[in-house]
Amino acid sequence: METHHFHFKTRRHNYPQVVCANHRVTTSKSNVNPSVLRLHNYGNPTADLAKERAVSADETKRPSTGKFGRFGGKFVPETLISCLEQLEVVFHQVLQDPEFQEELSTALNDYVGRETPLYYAERLTAHYKAQNMGRGPDIYIKREDLAHCGAHKMNNALAQAMIAKRMGLTAVVAATGAGAATGAGQHGIATAAACAKFGLSCTIFMGTADMEKQPSSVDLMNLLGAKVRPTAGSFKDATSDSIRDWTEKLGEVYYLAGTAVGPHPCPTMVREFQSVIGRETRRQAAEKWGGTPDAVVACVGSGSNALGIFHEFVRDPTVRLIGVEAAGFGLNTGKHAATLAAGEVGVYHGAMSYLLQDEEGQITCPHSVGVGMEYPGVAPELSFLKETGRMEFYSASDEEAVEAYRRVARLEGILPALEASHAFAYLEKLCPTMPDGAKIIISCSGRGEKDTETVFNYPIS
Amino acid sequence: MAIRAAATSAPTARSSSALSLPPPISSSSSYSSAQLSFGRAKSTTRPRTTVGCAISCTMTREAAAVTSTEKDDSDPALWSRPDSFGRFGKFGGKYVPETLMYALTELESAFNSVKNDPDFQASKLCISAVKAELGGILKDYVGRETPLYFAERLTDHYRRPNGEGPHIYLKREDLNHTGAHKINNAIGQVLLAKRLGKKRIIAETGAGQHGVATATVCARFGLECIIYMGAQDMERQSLNVFRMRLLGAEVRGVHSGTATLKDATSEAIRDWVTNVESTHYILGSVAGPHPYPMMVREFHKVIGEETRRQAMEKWGGKPDILVACVGGGSNAMGLFEDFVKDKDVRLIGVEAAGLGLDSGKHAATLTKGEVGVLHGAMSYLLQDDDGQIIEPHSISAGLDYPGVGPEHSFLKEKGRAEYYCVTDEEALEAFKRVSRLEGIIPALETSHALAYLEKLCPTLPDKTKVVLNCSGRGDKDVQTAIKYLKV
Repeated sequence: METHHFHFKTRRHNYPQVVCANHRVTTSKSNVNPSVLRLHNYGNPTADLAKERAVSADETKRPSTGKFGRFGGKFVPETLISCLEQLEVVFHQVLQDPEFQEELSTALNDYVGRETPLYYAERLTAHYKAQNMGRGPDIYIKREDLAHCGAHKMNNALAQAMIAKRMGLTAVVAATGAGAATGAGQHGIATAAACAKFGLSCTIFMGTADMEKQPSSVDLMNLLGAKVRPTAGSFKDATSDSIRDWTEKLGEVYYLAGTAVGPHPCPTMVREFQSVIGRETRRQAAEKWGGTPDAVVACVGSGSNALGIFHEFVRDPTVRLIGVEAAGFGLNTGKHAATLAAGEVGVYHGAMSYLLQDEEGQITCPHSVGVGMEYPGVAPELSFLKETGRMEFYSASDEEAVEAYRRVARLEGILPALEASHAFAYLEKLCPTMPDGAKIIISCSGRGEKDTETVFNYPIS
Repeated sequence: MAIRAAATSAPTARSSSALSLPPPISSSSSYSSAQLSFGRAKSTTRPRTTVGCAISCTMTREAAAVTSTEKDDSDPALWSRPDSFGRFGKFGGKYVPETLMYALTELESAFNSVKNDPDFQASKLCISAVKAELGGILKDYVGRETPLYFAERLTDHYRRPNGEGPHIYLKREDLNHTGAHKINNAIGQVLLAKRLGKKRIIAETGAGQHGVATATVCARFGLECIIYMGAQDMERQSLNVFRMRLLGAEVRGVHSGTATLKDATSEAIRDWVTNVESTHYILGSVAGPHPYPMMVREFHKVIGEETRRQAMEKWGGKPDILVACVGGGSNAMGLFEDFVKDKDVRLIGVEAAGLGLDSGKHAATLTKGEVGVLHGAMSYLLQDDDGQIIEPHSISAGLDYPGVGPEHSFLKEKGRAEYYCVTDEEALEAFKRVSRLEGIIPALETSHALAYLEKLCPTLPDKTKVVLNCSGRGDKDVQTAIKYLKV
């Protein structure tokens, strides 16, 4: 194994060089043996969830390292390790606790409004068929925009708020980012709502730059009873601050990770709670056309909505998994957020994954018109899926995303969030290549009313 | 009685070409000869411009007799709601210019033919794989059925010190696509319009919610869409205007009158009169001329039907009390309709008292209004001494309507439903309360119903089941609320 010297630099200190013996940090695209997939408890994508979980619980009775191939892990200060281990134990407990599962299921149905429909987008389908002599795929939209609070974030926030209560904690802190922290505000809003519902006190860290961009999110969080604490900078700084806050108040406060990044067990937990999306989708696809989709398309910011819908289909080789990242102003401009396309492997926020860093290992500032895509890292599990070749990833620019927003509004009367619009934008390239009658499922991860003003002000070329 | 005589002669007058004025009003002393007589727009030759509206507002100095609270003990299942003339008791009807009569009749027969058409029906929508056109769209596009959610913390809030109190359930119409119940009706009407071969849809809107719902469904079905909006409202709601344009609709500003909702409605009706062959007018509420009140109610009654089934699943019974806010009255009728015949279910509507009933700045039509004709139907409405419509006020745009659906007037008169009202301030308090207790931000309209719980719950015995229609979400109201609440 090749070793590589890591050179960590922060703004003020030079940390000593650390030799990482087991990691190759080149962005090699070698295809890993698919048997590697089996190591990671993808289990049996059937409805026998309890059995699957029992198996994985056995395997992980001792706290695990949380690796997906070489990605993931727990790169955190020692003080957090025991906390993470405890969290993992509770997580496995609740997965198998029928009372918890029932309460969660009722809340998901009655409070969040699940299951969300799988909607046949007739006019969008016709639009693409018309461009190709009447032949083209059938497009179905998984309507996560109809969930309470208008995005898929709620699935996870709800479950984790319930875990916090079970652990006897009465305060929750959430970092701000595309997810937990609030870049777009969606995770902050979902967390605030879940905390209100369960009577937990809630503190959300948000970058001042983001607060300026989306002040309405701040208002919403305040209304829901949460305290918003500003951090100089953007969400990545807010994430760091919230983790710092958590470290200070260990045992009093629950850290609610909003997306599938961070140290183990956060990525696994978030993915697990979001995977309800994929399970429903499989069932709905079977009802509607008696089969599985040919392709599943989702936008990738940090990765929670993508993992939520992909996870169920990872073991179906006939299902293409397509992630669409934000190309911002273009991949070569440096102003984008396409982590998987243009990033390198490193450690960020506690996990080894692809990330956008400069030559000195400093995290670069990503850009996208879809604020929720502006995360310079990505879920370690997605990095793994990329490296094993299981997932394809592409990107869409700001302009393409805005155009897609307008197109879907006009053709279907749905305003997709600008983040989700990236996935819709990719249909322009995907549809001409798909055979007639192929089934595409696209995840509409959120609603776009929050983005109306941005689209309004966007200069039309 | 003079009024009733006039009312029953209206339909026959329609078919006869001779003018048949009602008998001179001599019985009631509150009339003077200077009062304009009760009349239909057809038989009186009142020029349009006097009231600035093709559908004229007539004045009936009706004494307080109609506000009697004597309950009618007859079986609600036997009431004609409406009868063949579109009347609910004496309310309702079709007070429209002759040019529109044909369109209304055509609409009514089209609606009746689809109502019983299994390919169109909604009511069985959620039971199994649905092929019915409307049911399928409601399920996959709108996101029905909406949950009946047990509001645990809200219930705790109203629990009395001895541990007793009602159980509060929220019917989550806020989870629908576009965030309100409005879309149920918009979808139904657009499907109907398509069946009629209409290619052009028009609608009026106040704050923009109904406009957005209409533009949404027109985009979905590829129909041309024109929304009339008061110029003043357009300024206040520029984001909604942009949304409608994004969805492909044309938004036309109305500058006449006070440039608000009622003027937009009149303009829309004027357009419809002109283009009746190609155009369908999507009215947003259970107001307007027959068959609209009935049609809109039918498209919304899925709310109550689902509630009945969900209540049975959840506690094996019916709700004891249904509460809903009332502007035009569509969400309330949607929830109430299936339960009107169940006399053991209390129906409570909550209107907007604005700045207070005595301030003159409110929209409490059923509490403070009088009977007259507005926008084609006889109902309660807010009018001044000259019979001119009073500009209503409420912090919530959706309740800001000076009239109310005729069926609500009827239910009030029969004593079947009770109507109360709540001020702006109480509504804002409820807005904040529910956000903090349940993490659900309700629309300001809905907040009126939620505010009424403060007065209602202390009077209820233990374990009473209260179902409140959470008719819309409040994201659109956050800026307004923040201004007033200084959160």
